[in-house]
Amino acid sequence: MRELAVKLVKNGIETHVVTYHDYLTGQFEDTDGVKTVRIANPVRIHIGVLTWVLTLNQEVERVAANVYYDASKQVDLIDAYDWHFIPAAVTLKKALNIPFIYSVESLEEHRAHGANTPFNMAIKSIEWLGMFEAAKLLVKSDWMRDEIVRMHKVPPQKIKVISPKSTHWIKSILEAYKCVAGGITAR
Amino acid sequence: MSRELSVMMLTWEFPPRIIGGISPHVYNLSRSLAKNGVKVYVVTCDFPGAPQHETVDGVEVYRTDSYKNPSPDFATWVYLMNVNMQKEAAAIVRSLDGKVDVFHAHDWLVATAGIGLKHVFRRPFFATMHSTEIGRRNGLHFDYERMIHETEAWLTYEAWKVICCSDYMVSHVRWAFGLPEDKLIMVPNGVNTEVYSKNGKGDLSQFRRRFALPEEKIILFVGRLVYEKGIHVLVNAIPKVLEKANAKLVIVGNGYMKDQLSSLVGRIGLANKVMFTGFVDDDTLRKLQVCADVSVVPSLFEPFGIVALEAMAARSPVVVSDTGGLSEIVEHDVSGVKAYVDNPDSLAWGITKVLIDDGYANWIRTNAYKRVQEKYNWNRIAQQTKNIYNNVLNEYSKSFWAQPIAESSQEG
Repeated sequence: MRELAVKLVKNGIETHVVTYHDYLTGQFEDTDGVKTVRIANPVRIHIGVLTWVLTLNQEVERVAANVYYDASKQVDLIDAYDWHFIPAAVTLKKALNIPFIYSVESLEEHRAHGANTPFNMAIKSIEWLGMFEAAKLLVKSDWMRDEIVRMHKVPPQKIKVISPKSTHWIKSILEAYKCVAGGITAR
Repeated sequence: MSRELSVMMLTWEFPPRIIGGISPHVYNLSRSLAKNGVKVYVVTCDFPGAPQHETVDGVEVYRTDSYKNPSPDFATWVYLMNVNMQKEAAAIVRSLDGKVDVFHAHDWLVATAGIGLKHVFRRPFFATMHSTEIGRRNGLHFDYERMIHETEAWLTYEAWKVICCSDYMVSHVRWAFGLPEDKLIMVPNGVNTEVYSKNGKGDLSQFRRRFALPEEKIILFVGRLVYEKGIHVLVNAIPKVLEKANAKLVIVGNGYMKDQLSSLVGRIGLANKVMFTGFVDDDTLRKLQVCADVSVVPSLFEPFGIVALEAMAARSPVVVSDTGGLSEIVEHDVSGVKAYVDNPDSLAWGITKVLIDDGYANWIRTNAYKRVQEKYNWNRIAQQTKNIYNNVLNEYSKSFWAQPIAESSQEG
Protein backbone atom coordinates (compact mmCIF):
# COMPACT_ATOMS: atom_id res chain seq x y z
CA MET A 1 0.00 0.00 0.00
CA ARG A 2 2.73 2.38 1.08
CA GLU A 3 4.88 1.58 -1.95
CA LEU A 4 1.95 2.08 -4.30
CA ALA A 5 0.92 5.39 -2.71
CA VAL A 6 4.45 6.79 -2.89
CA LYS A 7 4.83 5.73 -6.51
CA LEU A 8 1.48 7.28 -7.41
CA VAL A 9 2.61 10.58 -5.92
CA LYS A 10 5.85 10.36 -7.89
CA ASN A 11 3.74 9.94 -11.01
CA GLY A 12 1.97 13.20 -10.26
CA ILE A 13 -1.23 11.77 -8.79
CA GLU A 14 -2.61 13.40 -5.66
CA THR A 15 -3.04 10.46 -3.30
CA HIS A 16 -5.07 10.22 -0.10
CA VAL A 17 -5.03 7.04 1.97
CA VAL A 18 -7.94 6.31 4.34
CA THR A 19 -7.13 3.64 6.89
CA TYR A 20 -7.71 2.50 10.44
CA HIS A 21 -6.21 4.39 13.38
CA ASP A 22 -4.14 2.12 15.59
CA TYR A 23 -3.93 4.67 18.44
CA LEU A 24 -0.14 4.91 18.19
CA THR A 25 -0.21 7.21 15.19
CA GLY A 26 -1.80 10.59 14.69
CA GLN A 27 -5.00 11.13 12.79
CA PHE A 28 -3.28 12.83 9.85
CA GLU A 29 0.05 12.21 8.26
CA ASP A 30 1.71 13.74 5.23
CA THR A 31 4.91 11.94 4.31
CA ASP A 32 6.49 11.65 0.87
CA GLY A 33 3.48 13.53 -0.45
CA VAL A 34 1.05 10.81 0.63
CA LYS A 35 -1.76 12.19 2.77
CA THR A 36 -2.99 9.59 5.21
CA VAL A 37 -6.15 9.90 7.31
CA ARG A 38 -6.61 7.39 10.09
CA ILE A 39 -10.02 6.73 11.52
CA ALA A 40 -11.18 5.03 14.70
CA ASN A 41 -14.48 3.26 15.27
CA PRO A 42 -16.96 5.44 17.18
CA VAL A 43 -18.61 2.25 18.43
CA ARG A 44 -15.98 0.89 20.78
CA ILE A 45 -17.62 -2.36 21.82
CA HIS A 46 -18.41 -5.07 19.30
CA ILE A 47 -19.67 -8.62 19.09
CA GLY A 48 -17.58 -9.52 16.05
CA VAL A 49 -15.40 -8.37 13.20
CA LEU A 50 -18.43 -7.88 10.97
CA THR A 51 -20.16 -5.31 13.17
CA TRP A 52 -16.79 -3.61 13.70
CA VAL A 53 -16.13 -3.31 9.97
CA LEU A 54 -19.66 -2.23 9.09
CA THR A 55 -19.72 0.63 11.59
CA LEU A 56 -16.21 1.72 10.57
CA ASN A 57 -17.48 2.32 7.03
CA GLN A 58 -19.38 5.48 7.99
CA GLU A 59 -16.15 6.99 9.26
CA VAL A 60 -14.53 6.07 5.95
CA GLU A 61 -17.37 7.87 4.20
CA ARG A 62 -17.00 10.88 6.46
CA VAL A 63 -13.28 11.40 5.86
CA ALA A 64 -13.49 10.47 2.17
CA ALA A 65 -16.26 13.06 1.76
CA ASN A 66 -14.03 15.57 3.55
CA VAL A 67 -11.26 14.89 1.02
CA TYR A 68 -13.78 15.25 -1.81
CA TYR A 69 -15.22 18.57 -0.64
CA ASP A 70 -11.80 19.98 0.35
CA ALA A 71 -10.58 19.17 -3.16
CA SER A 72 -13.51 21.10 -4.70
CA LYS A 73 -15.19 17.82 -5.59
CA GLN A 74 -12.22 16.69 -7.67
CA VAL A 75 -11.74 13.08 -6.72
CA ASP A 76 -11.43 10.95 -9.83
CA LEU A 77 -11.13 7.46 -8.46
CA ILE A 78 -11.36 5.31 -5.35
CA ASP A 79 -9.30 2.14 -5.06
CA ALA A 80 -10.74 -0.15 -2.35
CA TYR A 81 -8.59 -2.95 -0.98
CA ASP A 82 -10.52 -6.08 -0.08
CA TRP A 83 -14.09 -6.24 1.22
CA HIS A 84 -13.83 -4.15 4.38
CA PHE A 85 -14.56 -0.73 2.90
CA ILE A 86 -16.70 -1.85 -0.04
CA PRO A 87 -19.91 -0.46 1.53
CA ALA A 88 -18.29 2.98 1.76
CA ALA A 89 -16.93 2.77 -1.81
CA VAL A 90 -20.40 1.87 -3.12
CA THR A 91 -22.13 4.71 -1.26
CA LEU A 92 -19.50 7.22 -2.40
CA LYS A 93 -19.99 6.05 -5.97
CA LYS A 94 -23.79 6.32 -5.79
CA ALA A 95 -23.76 9.65 -3.96
CA LEU A 96 -20.83 11.51 -5.49
CA ASN A 97 -20.39 9.73 -8.80
CA ILE A 98 -16.82 8.64 -8.05
CA PRO A 99 -16.02 5.35 -9.79
CA PHE A 100 -14.12 2.73 -7.84
CA ILE A 101 -11.71 -0.11 -8.42
CA TYR A 102 -11.90 -3.16 -6.20
CA SER A 103 -8.44 -4.60 -5.57
CA VAL A 104 -9.10 -8.16 -4.51
CA GLU A 105 -6.38 -9.48 -2.22
CA SER A 106 -8.16 -12.59 -1.02
CA LEU A 107 -11.62 -14.14 -0.94
CA GLU A 108 -13.78 -15.24 1.97
CA GLU A 109 -14.33 -18.61 0.30
CA HIS A 110 -10.58 -19.33 0.56
CA ARG A 111 -10.05 -17.71 3.96
CA ALA A 112 -12.96 -19.67 5.46
CA HIS A 113 -11.94 -22.95 3.81
CA GLY A 114 -15.38 -23.35 2.32
CA ALA A 115 -17.32 -22.62 5.50
CA ASN A 116 -20.67 -21.03 4.75
CA THR A 117 -22.11 -19.77 8.03
CA PRO A 118 -24.26 -16.61 8.05
CA PHE A 119 -21.05 -14.76 8.99
CA ASN A 120 -19.20 -16.02 5.88
CA MET A 121 -22.26 -15.42 3.72
CA ALA A 122 -22.41 -11.79 4.81
CA ILE A 123 -18.78 -11.20 3.84
CA LYS A 124 -19.26 -12.99 0.53
CA SER A 125 -22.29 -10.84 -0.20
CA ILE A 126 -20.22 -7.72 0.43
CA GLU A 127 -17.51 -9.07 -1.89
CA TRP A 128 -20.18 -9.70 -4.51
CA LEU A 129 -21.56 -6.18 -4.07
CA GLY A 130 -18.07 -4.78 -4.61
CA MET A 131 -17.54 -6.85 -7.74
CA PHE A 132 -20.92 -5.82 -9.13
CA GLU A 133 -20.52 -2.10 -8.43
CA ALA A 134 -16.79 -1.71 -9.17
CA ALA A 135 -15.72 -0.33 -12.53
CA LYS A 136 -12.84 -2.80 -12.59
CA LEU A 137 -11.27 -5.49 -10.44
CA LEU A 138 -7.52 -5.68 -9.97
CA VAL A 139 -6.00 -9.00 -8.92
CA LYS A 140 -2.45 -10.26 -8.60
CA SER A 141 -2.63 -13.58 -10.42
CA ASP A 142 -4.43 -15.42 -13.20
CA TRP A 143 -5.51 -17.96 -10.60
CA MET A 144 -7.33 -15.29 -8.57
CA ARG A 145 -9.02 -13.98 -11.70
CA ASP A 146 -10.25 -17.46 -12.56
CA GLU A 147 -11.50 -18.03 -9.00
CA ILE A 148 -13.48 -14.78 -9.10
CA VAL A 149 -14.98 -15.70 -12.45
CA ARG A 150 -15.83 -19.16 -11.14
CA MET A 151 -17.36 -18.10 -7.82
CA HIS A 152 -18.93 -14.74 -8.50
CA LYS A 153 -19.55 -15.02 -12.26
CA VAL A 154 -17.79 -11.76 -12.98
CA PRO A 155 -17.10 -11.23 -16.70
CA PRO A 156 -13.36 -11.93 -17.15
CA GLN A 157 -12.83 -8.73 -19.13
CA LYS A 158 -13.80 -6.75 -16.01
CA ILE A 159 -10.78 -8.19 -14.17
CA LYS A 160 -7.23 -7.05 -14.76
CA VAL A 161 -4.28 -9.13 -13.59
CA ILE A 162 -1.28 -7.09 -12.44
CA SER A 163 1.51 -9.08 -10.88
CA PRO A 164 3.37 -7.19 -8.15
CA LYS A 165 6.56 -8.81 -9.48
CA SER A 166 6.07 -7.37 -12.93
CA THR A 167 8.48 -4.65 -14.05
CA HIS A 168 5.47 -2.80 -15.44
CA TRP A 169 3.66 -2.96 -12.09
CA ILE A 170 3.06 0.75 -11.48
CA LYS A 171 2.61 1.44 -15.20
CA SER A 172 -0.14 -1.19 -15.42
CA ILE A 173 -1.88 0.18 -12.34
CA LEU A 174 -1.78 3.70 -13.77
CA GLU A 175 -3.25 2.42 -17.01
CA ALA A 176 -6.08 0.74 -15.14
CA TYR A 177 -6.72 3.91 -13.13
CA LYS A 178 -6.81 6.07 -16.24
CA CYS A 179 -9.12 3.69 -17.99
CA VAL A 180 -11.64 3.91 -15.12
CA ALA A 181 -11.24 7.57 -14.19
CA GLY A 182 -11.58 8.46 -17.86
CA GLY A 183 -15.24 7.81 -17.40
CA ILE A 184 -15.44 4.68 -19.50
CA THR A 185 -17.51 2.72 -17.00
CA ALA A 186 -18.45 5.46 -14.57
CA ARG A 187 -22.10 6.41 -14.35
CA MET B 1 -35.74 29.30 0.35
CA SER B 2 -37.77 29.42 -2.83
CA ARG B 3 -38.42 25.75 -3.49
CA GLU B 4 -40.27 23.55 -1.02
CA LEU B 5 -38.55 22.05 1.98
CA SER B 6 -37.65 18.40 1.46
CA VAL B 7 -36.77 15.68 3.94
CA MET B 8 -35.62 12.11 3.58
CA MET B 9 -36.91 9.90 6.41
CA LEU B 10 -35.07 6.69 7.18
CA THR B 11 -37.03 4.03 9.03
CA TRP B 12 -36.75 0.27 9.22
CA GLU B 13 -40.55 -0.10 9.26
CA PHE B 14 -43.31 1.65 7.36
CA PRO B 15 -46.82 0.33 6.64
CA PRO B 16 -47.58 -2.36 5.61
CA ARG B 17 -44.44 -3.46 7.49
CA ILE B 18 -45.45 -2.93 11.14
CA ILE B 19 -43.28 -4.25 13.94
CA GLY B 20 -43.64 -1.61 16.60
CA GLY B 21 -44.56 2.02 17.12
CA ILE B 22 -42.08 3.54 14.66
CA SER B 23 -44.09 2.48 11.61
CA PRO B 24 -47.33 4.35 12.45
CA HIS B 25 -45.29 7.27 13.83
CA VAL B 26 -43.32 7.78 10.61
CA TYR B 27 -46.43 7.20 8.49
CA ASN B 28 -48.49 9.84 10.31
CA LEU B 29 -45.62 12.32 10.63
CA SER B 30 -44.73 11.99 6.93
CA ARG B 31 -48.25 12.44 5.56
CA SER B 32 -48.88 15.37 7.90
CA LEU B 33 -45.62 17.01 6.80
CA ALA B 34 -46.68 16.47 3.19
CA LYS B 35 -50.00 18.20 3.93
CA ASN B 36 -47.97 21.09 5.31
CA GLY B 37 -46.10 21.53 2.05
CA VAL B 38 -42.99 19.51 2.86
CA LYS B 39 -41.69 17.10 0.23
CA VAL B 40 -41.14 13.82 2.06
CA TYR B 41 -39.13 10.83 0.84
CA VAL B 42 -39.37 7.77 3.06
CA VAL B 43 -36.68 5.11 2.63
CA THR B 44 -37.56 1.87 4.38
CA CYS B 45 -37.17 -1.91 4.24
CA ASP B 46 -39.01 -3.91 1.62
CA PHE B 47 -42.04 -6.02 2.47
CA PRO B 48 -43.68 -8.90 0.60
CA GLY B 49 -46.29 -7.51 -1.79
CA ALA B 50 -45.47 -3.85 -1.17
CA PRO B 51 -44.13 -1.95 -4.21
CA GLN B 52 -40.53 -0.74 -4.38
CA HIS B 53 -41.71 2.79 -5.01
CA GLU B 54 -45.13 4.31 -4.44
CA THR B 55 -46.75 7.58 -3.47
CA VAL B 56 -48.80 7.30 -0.26
CA ASP B 57 -50.85 10.37 0.73
CA GLY B 58 -48.37 12.63 -1.03
CA VAL B 59 -45.33 10.89 0.46
CA GLU B 60 -42.76 9.24 -1.81
CA VAL B 61 -42.03 5.82 -0.32
CA TYR B 62 -39.00 3.79 -1.43
CA ARG B 63 -38.62 0.23 -0.17
CA THR B 64 -35.06 -0.97 -0.38
CA ASP B 65 -33.78 -4.51 -0.51
CA SER B 66 -33.17 -5.44 3.11
CA TYR B 67 -30.48 -8.05 3.70
CA LYS B 68 -32.19 -11.42 3.24
CA ASN B 69 -29.47 -14.02 3.73
CA PRO B 70 -29.46 -15.64 7.15
CA SER B 71 -27.72 -13.31 9.62
CA PRO B 72 -25.54 -14.19 12.60
CA ASP B 73 -27.81 -12.11 14.89
CA PHE B 74 -30.30 -9.24 14.81
CA ALA B 75 -27.79 -6.41 15.32
CA THR B 76 -25.52 -7.67 12.53
CA TRP B 77 -28.56 -7.88 10.27
CA VAL B 78 -29.34 -4.26 11.12
CA TYR B 79 -25.87 -3.12 10.03
CA LEU B 80 -26.02 -5.24 6.86
CA MET B 81 -29.49 -3.92 6.02
CA ASN B 82 -28.13 -0.39 6.50
CA VAL B 83 -25.47 -1.02 3.82
CA ASN B 84 -28.24 -1.60 1.27
CA MET B 85 -30.46 1.17 2.58
CA GLN B 86 -27.65 3.70 2.43
CA LYS B 87 -26.59 2.62 -1.04
CA GLU B 88 -30.10 2.95 -2.44
CA ALA B 89 -30.87 6.17 -0.55
CA ALA B 90 -27.67 7.71 -1.97
CA ALA B 91 -28.78 6.78 -5.49
CA ILE B 92 -32.22 8.32 -4.86
CA VAL B 93 -30.75 11.59 -3.61
CA ARG B 94 -28.47 11.71 -6.64
CA SER B 95 -31.40 11.04 -8.96
CA LEU B 96 -33.10 14.08 -7.37
CA ASP B 97 -30.03 16.22 -8.18
CA GLY B 98 -29.23 16.34 -4.49
CA LYS B 99 -32.48 18.19 -3.74
CA VAL B 100 -32.98 16.76 -0.27
CA ASP B 101 -32.56 19.38 2.44
CA VAL B 102 -32.39 17.22 5.56
CA PHE B 103 -32.08 13.60 6.62
CA HIS B 104 -34.14 12.27 9.51
CA ALA B 105 -33.41 8.85 11.08
CA HIS B 106 -35.70 6.98 13.46
CA ASP B 107 -33.84 4.96 16.10
CA TRP B 108 -30.47 3.19 15.92
CA LEU B 109 -31.93 0.70 13.42
CA VAL B 110 -31.04 3.16 10.64
CA ALA B 111 -28.19 4.97 12.42
CA THR B 112 -25.31 3.97 10.15
CA ALA B 113 -27.21 4.68 6.92
CA GLY B 114 -28.20 8.12 8.21
CA ILE B 115 -24.74 9.06 9.47
CA GLY B 116 -23.12 8.13 6.17
CA LEU B 117 -25.69 10.08 4.13
CA LYS B 118 -25.20 13.12 6.32
CA HIS B 119 -21.49 13.19 5.56
CA VAL B 120 -21.46 12.32 1.88
CA PHE B 121 -24.16 14.88 1.07
CA ARG B 122 -23.30 17.30 3.91
CA ARG B 123 -26.83 17.97 5.04
CA PRO B 124 -28.39 18.58 8.47
CA PHE B 125 -29.26 15.32 10.16
CA PHE B 126 -31.99 14.63 12.72
CA ALA B 127 -32.58 11.63 14.94
CA THR B 128 -35.76 10.67 16.74
CA MET B 129 -35.03 8.41 19.68
CA HIS B 130 -38.13 6.30 20.22
CA SER B 131 -36.48 4.12 22.84
CA THR B 132 -33.05 3.23 24.17
CA GLU B 133 -31.24 -0.05 24.68
CA ILE B 134 -30.37 0.89 28.24
CA GLY B 135 -34.07 1.54 28.94
CA ARG B 136 -35.36 -1.54 27.15
CA ARG B 137 -32.96 -3.84 28.97
CA ASN B 138 -32.93 -1.92 32.23
CA GLY B 139 -29.13 -1.53 32.09
CA LEU B 140 -26.33 -2.80 29.86
CA HIS B 141 -25.42 -6.39 30.67
CA PHE B 142 -23.71 -7.82 27.58
CA ASP B 143 -21.41 -6.59 24.82
CA TYR B 144 -24.33 -6.97 22.41
CA GLU B 145 -26.30 -4.40 24.38
CA ARG B 146 -23.27 -2.16 24.88
CA MET B 147 -22.65 -2.14 21.13
CA ILE B 148 -26.22 -1.02 20.44
CA HIS B 149 -25.96 1.57 23.19
CA GLU B 150 -22.76 2.97 21.63
CA THR B 151 -24.41 3.03 18.22
CA GLU B 152 -27.28 5.04 19.74
CA ALA B 153 -24.76 7.37 21.38
CA TRP B 154 -23.02 7.84 18.03
CA LEU B 155 -26.35 8.58 16.35
CA THR B 156 -27.24 11.26 18.90
CA TYR B 157 -23.70 12.68 18.57
CA GLU B 158 -23.98 12.99 14.79
CA ALA B 159 -27.51 14.43 14.84
CA TRP B 160 -27.96 18.18 14.73
CA LYS B 161 -31.01 17.84 16.94
CA VAL B 162 -32.35 14.82 18.79
CA ILE B 163 -36.14 14.55 18.98
CA CYS B 164 -37.95 12.66 21.75
CA CYS B 165 -41.67 12.14 22.20
CA SER B 166 -41.98 13.04 25.88
CA ASP B 167 -40.22 15.15 28.51
CA TYR B 168 -39.46 11.90 30.27
CA MET B 169 -37.62 10.56 27.19
CA VAL B 170 -35.78 13.87 26.80
CA SER B 171 -34.30 13.57 30.27
CA HIS B 172 -33.71 9.84 29.86
CA VAL B 173 -31.84 10.28 26.56
CA ARG B 174 -29.92 13.22 27.97
CA TRP B 175 -28.82 11.09 30.89
CA ALA B 176 -28.07 7.99 28.82
CA PHE B 177 -25.79 9.72 26.30
CA GLY B 178 -24.66 12.82 28.19
CA LEU B 179 -26.09 15.23 25.63
CA PRO B 180 -26.19 19.02 25.98
CA GLU B 181 -29.63 20.30 26.88
CA ASP B 182 -30.10 22.44 23.77
CA LYS B 183 -29.59 19.46 21.49
CA LEU B 184 -32.80 17.79 22.61
CA ILE B 185 -36.29 18.76 21.52
CA MET B 186 -39.58 17.31 22.71
CA VAL B 187 -42.18 16.76 20.03
CA PRO B 188 -45.07 14.61 21.25
CA ASN B 189 -46.29 11.52 19.51
CA GLY B 190 -49.66 11.99 17.88
CA VAL B 191 -52.89 10.10 17.55
CA ASN B 192 -55.46 10.02 14.79
CA THR B 193 -58.88 10.92 16.21
CA GLU B 194 -60.66 10.34 12.87
CA VAL B 195 -60.22 6.57 12.94
CA TYR B 196 -62.22 6.45 16.18
CA SER B 197 -65.02 8.80 15.18
CA LYS B 198 -65.73 6.49 12.23
CA ASN B 199 -66.13 3.53 14.57
CA GLY B 200 -68.17 5.42 17.12
CA LYS B 201 -71.08 5.94 14.72
CA GLY B 202 -72.73 2.54 14.41
CA ASP B 203 -74.40 0.48 17.10
CA LEU B 204 -71.70 -1.52 18.83
CA SER B 205 -73.86 -3.45 21.30
CA GLN B 206 -73.73 -6.58 19.18
CA PHE B 207 -69.95 -6.27 18.89
CA ARG B 208 -69.66 -5.62 22.61
CA ARG B 209 -71.43 -8.86 23.44
CA ARG B 210 -68.49 -10.83 22.05
CA PHE B 211 -66.45 -9.63 25.01
CA ALA B 212 -68.80 -8.95 27.93
CA LEU B 213 -72.36 -9.40 29.18
CA PRO B 214 -74.56 -6.34 28.60
CA GLU B 215 -74.65 -5.56 32.33
CA GLU B 216 -70.85 -5.84 32.71
CA LYS B 217 -68.67 -2.75 32.33
CA ILE B 218 -65.57 -3.29 30.17
CA ILE B 219 -62.14 -2.65 31.66
CA LEU B 220 -59.69 -2.67 28.76
CA PHE B 221 -55.97 -3.35 28.69
CA VAL B 222 -54.04 -3.10 25.40
CA GLY B 223 -50.35 -3.91 25.12
CA ARG B 224 -47.66 -6.52 24.99
CA LEU B 225 -47.99 -9.02 27.83
CA VAL B 226 -44.58 -8.29 29.33
CA TYR B 227 -43.47 -7.51 32.84
CA GLU B 228 -42.89 -3.77 32.43
CA LYS B 229 -46.49 -3.23 31.28
CA GLY B 230 -47.72 -4.19 34.77
CA ILE B 231 -50.70 -6.35 33.73
CA HIS B 232 -50.21 -8.48 36.85
CA VAL B 233 -50.84 -5.37 38.96
CA LEU B 234 -54.09 -4.78 37.09
CA VAL B 235 -55.24 -8.39 37.52
CA ASN B 236 -54.55 -8.12 41.25
CA ALA B 237 -56.68 -4.97 41.40
CA ILE B 238 -59.75 -6.62 39.86
CA PRO B 239 -61.16 -8.35 43.00
CA LYS B 240 -61.33 -4.97 44.74
CA VAL B 241 -63.08 -3.41 41.75
CA LEU B 242 -65.64 -6.21 41.67
CA GLU B 243 -66.70 -5.41 45.24
CA LYS B 244 -68.20 -2.16 43.91
CA ALA B 245 -68.94 -2.73 40.23
CA ASN B 246 -69.83 -5.54 37.87
CA ALA B 247 -67.13 -5.56 35.22
CA LYS B 248 -65.08 -7.64 32.81
CA LEU B 249 -61.37 -7.19 32.19
CA VAL B 250 -60.46 -7.57 28.51
CA ILE B 251 -56.75 -8.07 27.85
CA VAL B 252 -55.62 -7.45 24.27
CA GLY B 253 -52.13 -8.42 23.17
CA ASN B 254 -49.61 -11.17 23.48
CA GLY B 255 -46.30 -11.75 25.15
CA TYR B 256 -44.11 -14.01 27.19
CA MET B 257 -46.22 -13.45 30.35
CA LYS B 258 -49.42 -14.84 28.87
CA ASP B 259 -49.26 -18.23 30.63
CA GLN B 260 -48.21 -16.72 33.96
CA LEU B 261 -51.04 -14.21 33.75
CA SER B 262 -53.73 -16.73 32.90
CA SER B 263 -52.64 -18.95 35.79
CA LEU B 264 -52.72 -15.91 38.08
CA VAL B 265 -56.27 -15.20 36.88
CA GLY B 266 -57.31 -18.79 37.61
CA ARG B 267 -55.67 -18.78 41.01
CA ILE B 268 -57.55 -15.76 42.29
CA GLY B 269 -60.83 -17.09 40.88
CA LEU B 270 -61.38 -14.55 38.11
CA ALA B 271 -61.64 -16.92 35.15
CA ASN B 272 -65.14 -15.64 34.29
CA LYS B 273 -64.18 -11.99 34.74
CA VAL B 274 -61.03 -11.80 32.62
CA MET B 275 -60.78 -12.42 28.90
CA PHE B 276 -57.58 -12.77 26.87
CA THR B 277 -58.15 -11.95 23.21
CA GLY B 278 -54.56 -12.27 21.95
CA PHE B 279 -53.71 -10.06 18.96
CA VAL B 280 -56.72 -8.45 17.29
CA ASP B 281 -56.96 -6.58 13.98
CA ASP B 282 -57.03 -2.77 13.86
CA ASP B 283 -60.76 -2.53 13.35
CA THR B 284 -61.61 -4.75 16.32
CA LEU B 285 -59.10 -2.91 18.49
CA ARG B 286 -60.59 0.49 17.69
CA LYS B 287 -64.13 -0.71 18.32
CA LEU B 288 -63.02 -2.19 21.64
CA GLN B 289 -61.40 1.09 22.61
CA VAL B 290 -64.63 2.91 21.77
CA CYS B 291 -66.69 0.40 23.80
CA ALA B 292 -64.42 0.36 26.84
CA ASP B 293 -65.91 1.90 29.98
CA VAL B 294 -62.39 2.41 31.25
CA SER B 295 -58.95 1.86 29.67
CA VAL B 296 -56.14 1.04 32.04
CA VAL B 297 -52.40 1.52 31.43
CA PRO B 298 -50.73 0.08 34.54
CA SER B 299 -47.12 0.23 33.19
CA LEU B 300 -44.09 0.03 35.46
CA PHE B 301 -41.87 1.59 32.72
CA GLU B 302 -43.29 3.62 29.84
CA PRO B 303 -41.27 5.94 27.54
CA PHE B 304 -44.40 7.44 26.00
CA GLY B 305 -47.65 5.48 26.40
CA ILE B 306 -49.36 5.82 23.03
CA VAL B 307 -52.09 3.41 24.09
CA ALA B 308 -53.34 5.93 26.66
CA LEU B 309 -53.60 8.57 23.93
CA GLU B 310 -55.48 6.16 21.68
CA ALA B 311 -57.98 5.49 24.44
CA MET B 312 -58.41 9.22 24.99
CA ALA B 313 -58.99 9.70 21.26
CA ALA B 314 -61.60 6.92 21.41
CA ARG B 315 -63.32 8.84 24.24
CA SER B 316 -62.67 6.08 26.73
CA PRO B 317 -61.80 7.32 30.25
CA VAL B 318 -58.23 6.35 31.21
CA VAL B 319 -56.61 5.18 34.42
CA VAL B 320 -52.81 5.16 34.19
CA SER B 321 -49.88 4.59 36.50
CA ASP B 322 -48.04 7.79 37.32
CA THR B 323 -44.78 7.08 35.48
CA GLY B 324 -42.71 8.09 32.43
CA GLY B 325 -44.62 9.55 29.51
CA LEU B 326 -47.97 8.66 31.07
CA SER B 327 -47.42 11.24 33.80
CA GLU B 328 -47.28 13.93 31.12
CA ILE B 329 -50.16 12.71 28.96
CA VAL B 330 -52.69 12.55 31.78
CA GLU B 331 -53.62 15.36 34.13
CA HIS B 332 -55.09 13.83 37.26
CA ASP B 333 -58.82 14.40 37.79
CA VAL B 334 -58.94 16.41 34.56
CA SER B 335 -58.09 14.17 31.61
CA GLY B 336 -57.76 10.87 33.44
CA VAL B 337 -56.91 9.19 36.71
CA LYS B 338 -53.34 8.62 37.86
CA ALA B 339 -52.64 5.76 40.22
CA TYR B 340 -49.51 4.91 42.17
CA VAL B 341 -47.07 2.73 40.22
CA ASP B 342 -47.11 -0.98 41.06
CA ASN B 343 -50.01 -0.53 43.50
CA PRO B 344 -53.15 -2.68 42.93
CA ASP B 345 -55.15 -0.84 45.62
CA SER B 346 -54.50 2.54 44.07
CA LEU B 347 -55.35 1.18 40.62
CA ALA B 348 -58.59 -0.42 41.95
CA TRP B 349 -59.58 2.89 43.53
CA GLY B 350 -59.10 4.74 40.23
CA ILE B 351 -60.96 2.16 38.14
CA THR B 352 -63.87 2.00 40.61
CA LYS B 353 -64.19 5.77 40.69
CA VAL B 354 -64.56 5.91 36.91
CA LEU B 355 -66.95 2.94 36.75
CA ILE B 356 -69.42 4.04 39.43
CA ASP B 357 -69.50 7.77 38.79
CA ASP B 358 -70.80 8.46 35.26
CA GLY B 359 -70.56 12.22 35.70
CA TYR B 360 -66.88 11.94 36.57
CA ALA B 361 -66.21 9.53 33.70
CA ASN B 362 -67.84 11.93 31.24
CA TRP B 363 -65.90 14.87 32.61
CA ILE B 364 -62.50 13.23 32.10
CA ARG B 365 -63.44 11.68 28.78
CA THR B 366 -64.50 15.06 27.38
CA ASN B 367 -61.42 16.87 28.67
CA ALA B 368 -59.12 14.09 27.44
CA TYR B 369 -60.56 14.20 23.94
CA LYS B 370 -60.08 17.96 23.79
CA ARG B 371 -56.49 17.60 25.04
CA VAL B 372 -55.72 14.99 22.40
CA GLN B 373 -57.04 17.19 19.63
CA GLU B 374 -55.05 20.20 20.82
CA LYS B 375 -51.71 18.76 21.81
CA TYR B 376 -51.40 15.38 20.14
CA ASN B 377 -52.74 16.41 16.80
CA TRP B 378 -50.57 15.24 13.89
CA ASN B 379 -51.03 18.45 11.98
CA ARG B 380 -49.68 20.44 14.89
CA ILE B 381 -46.83 17.97 15.38
CA ALA B 382 -45.93 18.25 11.69
CA GLN B 383 -45.82 22.04 11.97
CA GLN B 384 -43.55 21.78 15.01
CA THR B 385 -41.28 19.39 13.14
CA LYS B 386 -41.21 21.61 10.08
CA ASN B 387 -40.19 24.55 12.28
CA ILE B 388 -37.35 22.49 13.71
CA TYR B 389 -36.11 21.66 10.20
CA ASN B 390 -36.32 25.30 9.14
CA ASN B 391 -34.54 26.60 12.24
CA VAL B 392 -31.70 24.17 11.75
CA LEU B 393 -31.50 24.92 8.02
CA ASN B 394 -31.11 28.56 8.97
CA GLU B 395 -28.19 27.73 11.28
CA TYR B 396 -26.79 25.41 8.63
CA SER B 397 -26.92 28.07 5.93
CA LYS B 398 -24.25 29.98 7.86
CA SER B 399 -21.95 26.96 8.13
CA PHE B 400 -19.20 26.11 5.64
CA TRP B 401 -21.09 22.94 4.76
CA ALA B 402 -23.74 25.04 3.06
CA GLN B 403 -21.26 26.54 0.58
CA PRO B 404 -21.21 23.77 -2.06
CA ILE B 405 -25.00 23.90 -2.20
CA ALA B 406 -24.96 27.64 -2.82
CA GLU B 407 -22.51 27.04 -5.70
CA SER B 408 -24.56 24.36 -7.34
CA SER B 409 -27.82 26.29 -7.05
CA GLN B 410 -26.15 29.19 -8.87
CA GLU B 411 -25.13 26.83 -11.62
CA GLY B 412 -28.62 25.42 -11.93
